Amino acid sequence: MKKRGRGMACMWYPIGFTVAANPSSAVVKLDEDGTATLLTGTVETGQGSLTILAQIVAQELGISTDDVNVVSADTDATPMDTGAIASRTTYVTGNAARLAAEKVKLMLFDVVAPLLNVKPNQLEAKDHRIVVKGFPQRNMHIGDAANHARTVTGEPPIGSASFNPATVALDPETGQGKPFGTYVYATQIAEVEVDDETGDVEVLRIVASHDCGTPINPMLVEGQVEGGISMGVGFALQEEILFNANGVQINPNLTNYIMPTSLDMPEVEVDIVDNYDPSGPFGAKGVGEPTLVPTAACILNAIYNAVGVRITSLPATAEKVFNAIQAKRNAEPKQITA
Amino acid sequence: MDKDKNPKVAEKVSPVETVLKEPGILHEPVAAPLVTYPIEVVIPKARQQTPAVGQRATRLDGRLHGLGQTGYIDDMTFPGMLYAKIRRAGVASARIKSIDTSEAEAMPGVMAVLTGKDVPNNSFGPSIKDQPVLAYERVFHAGDGIVAVAAVTEQIAAEACQKVKIEFEVLTPVLDPLESLKLETPGVHAPSANIYQKKFIKKGDVEKGFAMSDHIIEGHFTTQMVEHVPMEPHATIAMWDANGRLTVYSTLGRITLGRADLASTLGIPISRVRIVATIVGGNFGGKNEITTEPVLALLSKKTGRPVKSVFTRPDEFIASTTRHPLIMDYKTGVTKDGRIQARKLRLVLDGGAYCSWSETTLSKACILSAGPYNIENLYAEAYVVYTNKTMTGAMRGFGAPQVCFAYESHMDDIATLLNMDPLDIRLINAFHEGSISPTGQKLQSVVVKESLLRAAERFGWNPKGSTAGAGKILPKEITSGTTVRA
Amino acid sequence: MLTVTLKVNGETRTAVVPPETTLLRMLRDQLNLTGSKLGCDVGDCGACTVIVDGKVVNSCLMLAGQAEGRDVQTIEGLATMDRVHPIQRAFEDCASLQCGFCGPGVIMSAKALLDEIPNPTIPQIRDALGGNLCRCTGYVKMIEAILIAATAMRGESAQASR
Repeated sequence: MKKRGRGMACMWYPIGFTVAANPSSAVVKLDEDGTATLLTGTVETGQGSLTILAQIVAQELGISTDDVNVVSADTDATPMDTGAIASRTTYVTGNAARLAAEKVKLMLFDVVAPLLNVKPNQLEAKDHRIVVKGFPQRNMHIGDAANHARTVTGEPPIGSASFNPATVALDPETGQGKPFGTYVYATQIAEVEVDDETGDVEVLRIVASHDCGTPINPMLVEGQVEGGISMGVGFALQEEILFNANGVQINPNLTNYIMPTSLDMPEVEVDIVDNYDPSGPFGAKGVGEPTLVPTAACILNAIYNAVGVRITSLPATAEKVFNAIQAKRNAEPKQITA
Repeated sequence: MDKDKNPKVAEKVSPVETVLKEPGILHEPVAAPLVTYPIEVVIPKARQQTPAVGQRATRLDGRLHGLGQTGYIDDMTFPGMLYAKIRRAGVASARIKSIDTSEAEAMPGVMAVLTGKDVPNNSFGPSIKDQPVLAYERVFHAGDGIVAVAAVTEQIAAEACQKVKIEFEVLTPVLDPLESLKLETPGVHAPSANIYQKKFIKKGDVEKGFAMSDHIIEGHFTTQMVEHVPMEPHATIAMWDANGRLTVYSTLGRITLGRADLASTLGIPISRVRIVATIVGGNFGGKNEITTEPVLALLSKKTGRPVKSVFTRPDEFIASTTRHPLIMDYKTGVTKDGRIQARKLRLVLDGGAYCSWSETTLSKACILSAGPYNIENLYAEAYVVYTNKTMTGAMRGFGAPQVCFAYESHMDDIATLLNMDPLDIRLINAFHEGSISPTGQKLQSVVVKESLLRAAERFGWNPKGSTAGAGKILPKEITSGTTVRA
Repeated sequence: MLTVTLKVNGETRTAVVPPETTLLRMLRDQLNLTGSKLGCDVGDCGACTVIVDGKVVNSCLMLAGQAEGRDVQTIEGLATMDRVHPIQRAFEDCASLQCGFCGPGVIMSAKALLDEIPNPTIPQIRDALGGNLCRCTGYVKMIEAILIAATAMRGESAQASR
């Protein structure tokens, strides 16, 4: 018989390295047509970080995402970056990129201010122009500003910056300290269907509510959540590296190491919690790893809700669930009808 | 679409049948097939909008991915390029008595062979430098690389690896992390102890907290070793220029660190090393440290040619890092209205054969282990131990998915014990803005409760709608003289 | 050595390969069509998926010699100089691909599906992608994109047949 159940799990997860310095640096240069180049040492591993960084730089300079060309991952050409790890790229590299772009912007404000007869702090960058705050009719195209900076003032607009989250080392005995700059929070709720005759668990639906600060690109956040959930489903129900008695792996291949296919994925609903972290670029934090943290927990809680068995070791394979259901049945006092 | 179903319409070159009848044509050199794509670019609207933050902008690499044009490292070739394969130990713990590469070296097409003694500094590691580039005297896990062969084709390199003769003195491996935790168990990396790192968090007074609790409940949880399974296996190409400068194309996620590691293992200045990472086909934490890069650099130096190596799928499992299995014991004291008074927990991490990113994983797991809950009295201890299994390292979450499984399962057990709704008990205990974390940090921009309520609303979580059948087995509860049982 | 002559993306090609060469290696190494990827080499992951004589095939499981005289379509054959294929467009618009490595294989499986079933249901789509492993995306936006591409392709063929 198939029994349905639901389970929830919430979590918290840090952004950046534990206490240790993990800086990122970035260089932004602006050309005479108002398009920019970002140099970053980070590596695109699929999560879409280069797009996010382009959006951050574009926002700071008031230009569009497509106007920013991102050059990455070459130790000869790009500045140091601690790497695409610990969900830190949007927060740390993003801050570095924003600060570099801000330097370019402030350079341009210094150049443009006398041309528009205002002080530099009266200017803002938006819609491809350097604009006087409160009097937008007076403005200059950002490309013209860059060109003027280069050819007249003699200062090509280029800025470099780095960022490192502020932390406090942990006491070795009590662990007290400030290990991370910021954290993200999330809840996932799963609905499962358990076949109590085979132990087979099907995850029908997962609702995921994730905090990532400001979502720089909601479409890419959804992609990360969906991908993380697929890893979480595998972690909960299928994946396991098995060793024989001699310590040699038995299943080092994809035939016998089971991971989720399109047929194993539940329906996923992604919700992004409204939040803003002032220490992040435009309020953003990160989302790469948190996406799979609560998944196994909510699925296992849902299994308990469905068939009343608490599986305490992962993965919750069909055999484990079936054996647990059998054990529970055997432990129940048998009823004898009069 | 019609074009695809009716091929004759599209043909510009002779049909297959004609070519087969004229054998002379078969001797023409192979010209690269035409690959077409539109050059004029349609820029999606979201990419053109200002302000840029918040836009559902498409990825710039999205179009290239869909066309199959993204250049991953295995798609790259260089003139004269050789292929390298690595012969791996196949035993979990052993002393290497002898390595005989003569038969392999004699094979036609084999250009160079490398062992650990050819590596200038044969050890590296992000924190503890316990990992060899190529194992030379000792093997610590079955995936340890021992000999590397560079040959003109991948197949010859693989066959040559098989021809290498290695004599092992097989030792008894330590496989159980709880065994490894015991002081009397021989050290995997003797004379260093098996417990290679510990972490403690102490806040308030747990015994006092338990004394104040109405119920005390325990839980024991374990998680398994899993692999990142990036769809793209680790890939590297190494080559030198005439100025003695090394260029390495690699799937590394951390090129600054990788460059430093390469410089140190090869004994050359950092300024002579260039690492270029192309777009990587998935990392998830498994490509954050060097693997074959120093080996390929040395093979390239020996042969004077670029050398490429791509992990096989089995290599991905046995020779790259994996996720730490955890053994977790939780004990929590609650009052009958659901408030957590004290939590005591122990984590044991199976640290595999080498440290890799275990220190970071240990720290994170320990810091996160109590969950996003206000707990005044907390004691957490965490240990990571060596075993002779595949090296465990960074994998998406660094211990968080494992501890979350434990603390959230445990939370539901507590809810069952108190006959409370899982949502309610979490709302009572969860962090709020300004809460103090287990390490004493004041938290800002906290939205645990918001995420709980939003998820519950979207899911349709009605508090009294639990469907668990009658006669649930209650989680284990302990008695003590001062606690009151339910 | 074996001489293999076959049609690839509408053009006749010939290559001379050792007999144990797979179709995948011949496409990648001899014909420079590196769009099809090597993920496992034993037919588990689907990254090497191509269409042979109208049927979806793991090219790592097919010997080059077995492809003699056949009609092979790879990812490189979908776009034209005028436009990317509707599936490729939809995948781009929906951000269906992240690292992109499984992409060519998934898109070829999708194409084979839509060639046979122009109006697929979600279960049919999941089934068609069942042999393609993806670690980054969770398949969700791929399914979305295939539904959108199916609509676009039905619109195109409706126009073409007028």
